[in-house]
Amino acid sequence: MKRSVHFAVWLLFAIGSSIASAQTAAQFAKANQEYAAGDFNSAVNDYEELMRGGQDTPNLFYNLGNAYFRKKDFGRAVLNYERALALDPHHPEAQANLRIARDEARALELAPTKLEHSLGFATANQYVVVASIAFWVCAFCIVTLIFGRRRGRGLIALSILSLSIFAITIFAVWTLSRGKDTANLAVVTAENADARLATADNANRVLTLPAGSEIHILSQRGDWIYAALPNNLRGWLPAKSAEHVRL
Amino acid sequence: MEMSIRSHWFKFAVALALSLSATESIHAASPSVTAVLSNSEPAVGETVQLQIKVSGAQSANVPQEISIDGLEIHQTGTARQFEMRNFDVSSSVTYNYTILPVRAGKFKIPAQTVRVGNDSLHTPELALNVTGGSSSSAGAPQGGARGPSAIASKLTFAELVVGKKDAYVGEVVPAEIRLGFDPRAHGRLEEGPELSGQGFTTQKLQQPRETMETIGGRTYQVYTFKTAISPARPGKFEIGPVQAKAIVLLPRRPTAPRTRPRSAFDLFNLDDPFSDPFFSDPFGSMGERSELPIRSEAVTLNVKPLPPNAPANFSGAVGNFTMAVDAKPKNVQVGDPITVTATISGRGNFDRMNGPVLEDERGWHKYPPSSKFKQDDDVGISGEKTFESVIAPNEKKTAVPPLAFAYFDPINGNYVTLRSERVPIQVEGGAATAPTVAAAPAAATTPAATPAPAAKPADILYQLNDLGRIRSFAPLYSQPIFWIAQIAPLIGLLGFAGWKIRQTKIGNREVQRVAALQHESAELLRKLRRGELSPQDYFSNASRVAKVKTALAKNIDPNAVDAETVAKVFDLGENERARLRTLFERTDELRYSGSGNGDASLGHRDREEVLNLLESLRA
Repeated sequence: MKRSVHFAVWLLFAIGSSIASAQTAAQFAKANQEYAAGDFNSAVNDYEELMRGGQDTPNLFYNLGNAYFRKKDFGRAVLNYERALALDPHHPEAQANLRIARDEARALELAPTKLEHSLGFATANQYVVVASIAFWVCAFCIVTLIFGRRRGRGLIALSILSLSIFAITIFAVWTLSRGKDTANLAVVTAENADARLATADNANRVLTLPAGSEIHILSQRGDWIYAALPNNLRGWLPAKSAEHVRL
Repeated sequence: MEMSIRSHWFKFAVALALSLSATESIHAASPSVTAVLSNSEPAVGETVQLQIKVSGAQSANVPQEISIDGLEIHQTGTARQFEMRNFDVSSSVTYNYTILPVRAGKFKIPAQTVRVGNDSLHTPELALNVTGGSSSSAGAPQGGARGPSAIASKLTFAELVVGKKDAYVGEVVPAEIRLGFDPRAHGRLEEGPELSGQGFTTQKLQQPRETMETIGGRTYQVYTFKTAISPARPGKFEIGPVQAKAIVLLPRRPTAPRTRPRSAFDLFNLDDPFSDPFFSDPFGSMGERSELPIRSEAVTLNVKPLPPNAPANFSGAVGNFTMAVDAKPKNVQVGDPITVTATISGRGNFDRMNGPVLEDERGWHKYPPSSKFKQDDDVGISGEKTFESVIAPNEKKTAVPPLAFAYFDPINGNYVTLRSERVPIQVEGGAATAPTVAAAPAAATTPAATPAPAAKPADILYQLNDLGRIRSFAPLYSQPIFWIAQIAPLIGLLGFAGWKIRQTKIGNREVQRVAALQHESAELLRKLRRGELSPQDYFSNASRVAKVKTALAKNIDPNAVDAETVAKVFDLGENERARLRTLFERTDELRYSGSGNGDASLGHRDREEVLNLLESLRA
């Protein structure tokens, strides 16, 4: 009796998941069809509905970026390509289309530091995995050294090597988490947003940012955000003129 | 008495600290020098004031006389000024010169060297256009004679001094409003001053400078307000009059005919209102405070239109300017932004000025510039305006093209275009910006001797039909799954450590066992060598030594060892093997029968043989 109840619950859960998955896939296919038919507004609505439903997949953001690109909304196109790349840094289609959208929008990019550039061959998550492996290797080596009868040179060398790799990768994670590609990265979605010296519309202008330009939000005060801008500038922008890349 | 001395010391210390901090603040600012003329277009015989103002210093070495043919220039005085704002003390010294033009013509007063300490500063070159006719815009105060009463007219005056009579549309003309009060009247401004008129704009009046001046034999406390006028259209305009209201202290009017003696101030019998005894004894009678309107005469300004042949990039700047340009960074990739900074310095209408433009914009993408202005004087006529604009190269470039800035020079009456030098830069990258996965044009990487036409923008790639796997924006280390995954190696590590600890403990027991056996063997041999044992004990100990040695050599239990095992382990010869067998047999015989089949005692030779046999047992 008990076994049959468990089976029934499991069956219901499996059927529910299957139905939800099928609905998501159907809505994604419908949005793609709308895009193919040139109905970009409907496609954007359907993609965004999926996004609000928690379907944070690189392909969804990539397709959404394409739909915005077709609508000539290059700021949001760049934003969604960047979101796709935040989820999958090696998404080749998103990389290609992001370059094209930036060229179209004449968007300004935040320049990474030399250190970030040097560490850029791997992502922060990859560094975390390497750090984790190096840590455990080092831990096993130390346990062996402490409790083993013989302390061979190879074991000591492996301990030092793994500890060094652990330290370097932790430093890389720390550097990248403070650099350009962080939770504070945002993209200007308004057309030619003016960054100003103070939180007033008539304050002196620091820089005019085309849509799609990258900024790094430092703080927020009311309806204004204080951001690091391309070219090592800083200024205040209306909060509604930019959106965070990472949701 | 003691308190008084303490109080004096305290005051002295405070004054010393303030003066030290003031001195420090004064010396902290680097000195600068400016030179202005009260009128740049006087008539022959009309005196003009030249002021050389040194800011940030308390004294300076200036030329006593300036020799220019056609002008008589003499130094007439020095004025020092200290100003304290929010504990920031600034000082300046102004050297006044009088210029008397003796003939008509255009004169240039060259840059003068002013020495401040070890620094040598230079004044700007000034132009003076002396006309043949007479002029009356400046000179003795005139407005005071138009007051509502004769008394008031003697106590106050207002004067508008405009730097030029002829100007161009958009030109900034310095102007001064001077309000004077007889110091005994304790004059105080109630309203104004206001400068009325149409066809021009004025700068906001600054805080007045206060001086004591003697004009026409009377001493006045003079408040000088600086401003600047900018004509908006051509024509002849009346500037002013300046109007203000002041509260002054007036003596009461005598009801009886005048019988009192003349005031000491009234040297020339000018009917000085302060001849009243009230002013010689303020408590002897009552004065009254009255509101007096003050009004100056208007000044006529002839405004000429700008010439029609303006350069294409002329944006309305009128004055005299210089330009400096820089660009950063110098090494960029195609499409990267470069900040171009253009600094326009000089004298003119900075508020109507637009930034310089690129002479050749091909291959560049421009963004709107920003600007900031740093003024060098009180009214913003002279200073420097910095324009920062961002440009991005669309292709490989070797330099930022020259920037052009056009302005109208009102002194020479012509347009001037300033051109900057090319700023060398290095642009890397180029046509290879198209991504490899995109449908890049085939000739994108083909080097070309001539500039290639702008590539048609590539189209974006296709839609993807697979929704893909849901991922998280959060970094891996902040996701619970990462930390849960660490449990597996942690368990492995703990298990490994436990196994290692157990192995160590086991190893320790073995060592103890070996040590005990070695100790036992050594002890038994020592007893055997002493020769005090009975034959039973002797053979028993000897066979035990053989067993223990074998057990140590093969890591086995000594009780399980027999004569054959010993012989095999130590690879003994036949003779030794027989002797060993005999040893073990005699041991068993003595142990189980209680006595041997022979002598009760053991001979020395037998002992030696047994000992030799045991010592020969070596692995």
